[in-house]
Amino acid sequence: MSAVNLPSNYLPILVFFFIALAFGVVTILMGYLVRPKRPYLEKLHAYESGILPDTDARMQFPFRYYLIAMLFVLFDIEMVFLYPWAVSFNKLGLFGLIEMVLFLLILFVGYFYAWRKGALEWD
Amino acid sequence: MIPLSYYIVVSTTMFVVGLVGILIRKNFLIILFSIELMLNAANINLVAFSHYSGKVDGQVMSIFIIAVAAAEAAIGLAIIIILFRGKATTNVDEMDLMKW
Amino acid sequence: MAAQLLFFYFGGVTIAGAIVAVTSRNIVYSALSLLVAFIHIAGIYVLLNAEFIAAVQILVYAGAILVLYLFVLMLFNPSEEKLYLHKQAKVGIFLGVVVLFMMLFAGYKTEIIGKGGPLTAQAVKEMGHTRVIGNALFTDYLFPFEVASLILLVAMFGAIVLAGRGVHRKKGPAGRIDLSYRDKLPKKSSETPEEVIVGR
Repeated sequence: MSAVNLPSNYLPILVFFFIALAFGVVTILMGYLVRPKRPYLEKLHAYESGILPDTDARMQFPFRYYLIAMLFVLFDIEMVFLYPWAVSFNKLGLFGLIEMVLFLLILFVGYFYAWRKGALEWD
Repeated sequence: MIPLSYYIVVSTTMFVVGLVGILIRKNFLIILFSIELMLNAANINLVAFSHYSGKVDGQVMSIFIIAVAAAEAAIGLAIIIILFRGKATTNVDEMDLMKW
Repeated sequence: MAAQLLFFYFGGVTIAGAIVAVTSRNIVYSALSLLVAFIHIAGIYVLLNAEFIAAVQILVYAGAILVLYLFVLMLFNPSEEKLYLHKQAKVGIFLGVVVLFMMLFAGYKTEIIGKGGPLTAQAVKEMGHTRVIGNALFTDYLFPFEVASLILLVAMFGAIVLAGRGVHRKKGPAGRIDLSYRDKLPKKSSETPEEVIVGR
């Protein structure tokens, strides 16, 4: 059981991770070493196409984003339940189909409620 | 081979960090973050026990916990938005309308 | 050995991220270090051979729930807080340390008693983790599964009822300066009126 504990097919992800990390570090380090450093106030401003920035970078978002994000999260969970169902569908058969249809029907009630309430409309 | 107790130490520490976070912070959102931390600590425990006992029940439960956490985040944030509209603050101590 | 090293990395970064999330003054830093902690928890799940749970952790926690939190953060226009600790902070930390030692004392020696189930790591690997989860979820846990859909439904209703007020109203986004009132003003007022903040 000891050797099984480490899934070996995750090695490419590890290698990829280190390559990505090295790329970022090397790029920033090279730029830091090579570039001339003559900072002054205008240069240190946030870049906004040459216009002086007059507000904070973190502006307030419209409130409507929250409802969209919330609906996304809840239907994301629905997807999480759908995936193992799809994988073991052959074993579950008709019974599995019925229970998943029930699950989806309950969630579609919420979907139509959101639709009727206008939570999906932007304007 | 990692002993089971290592996972228990990690999950216990995370749970206590979440608990302390709820107790010491004033900000609403941090309190919700702490609740998420505690749920995740429970998840680590469930998955670890499930792995070491050779049954899958704990992992199924952890999926349910993730679903409940999503529902909790949606509702909790809606409540925060309502309170923020009324009071324009995120400090929990100022939400004392119901206090005598 | 490599597994142990990976475990110490994932566990250590998870706990460090959790501590930074709880203690940071800037709430955006908190949210992002929480993201780090969640991703490393997915690494712990991979070490436990729970690959599907790891994927769900990254998809749902890191991809969806934290994005929801960040959206709400942006609604609040966050800034650093001066007095960010509650007045009961010292008592809270003391209690936390006490509870930590109690729980560690109680839980450290935990072992699985009795015969293990059939799904050892090798068996899970042969069947595929997602299939194992699916078989258990849709047979033994049928009723909790349907109840989960009800929980999601109630969450959807609740969030729309609580936060969805004024979804239909024609209104500029909160906090923005709305200049459309100028068209409605009578012509004679020549001086520019004060800017009106719409919303909230």
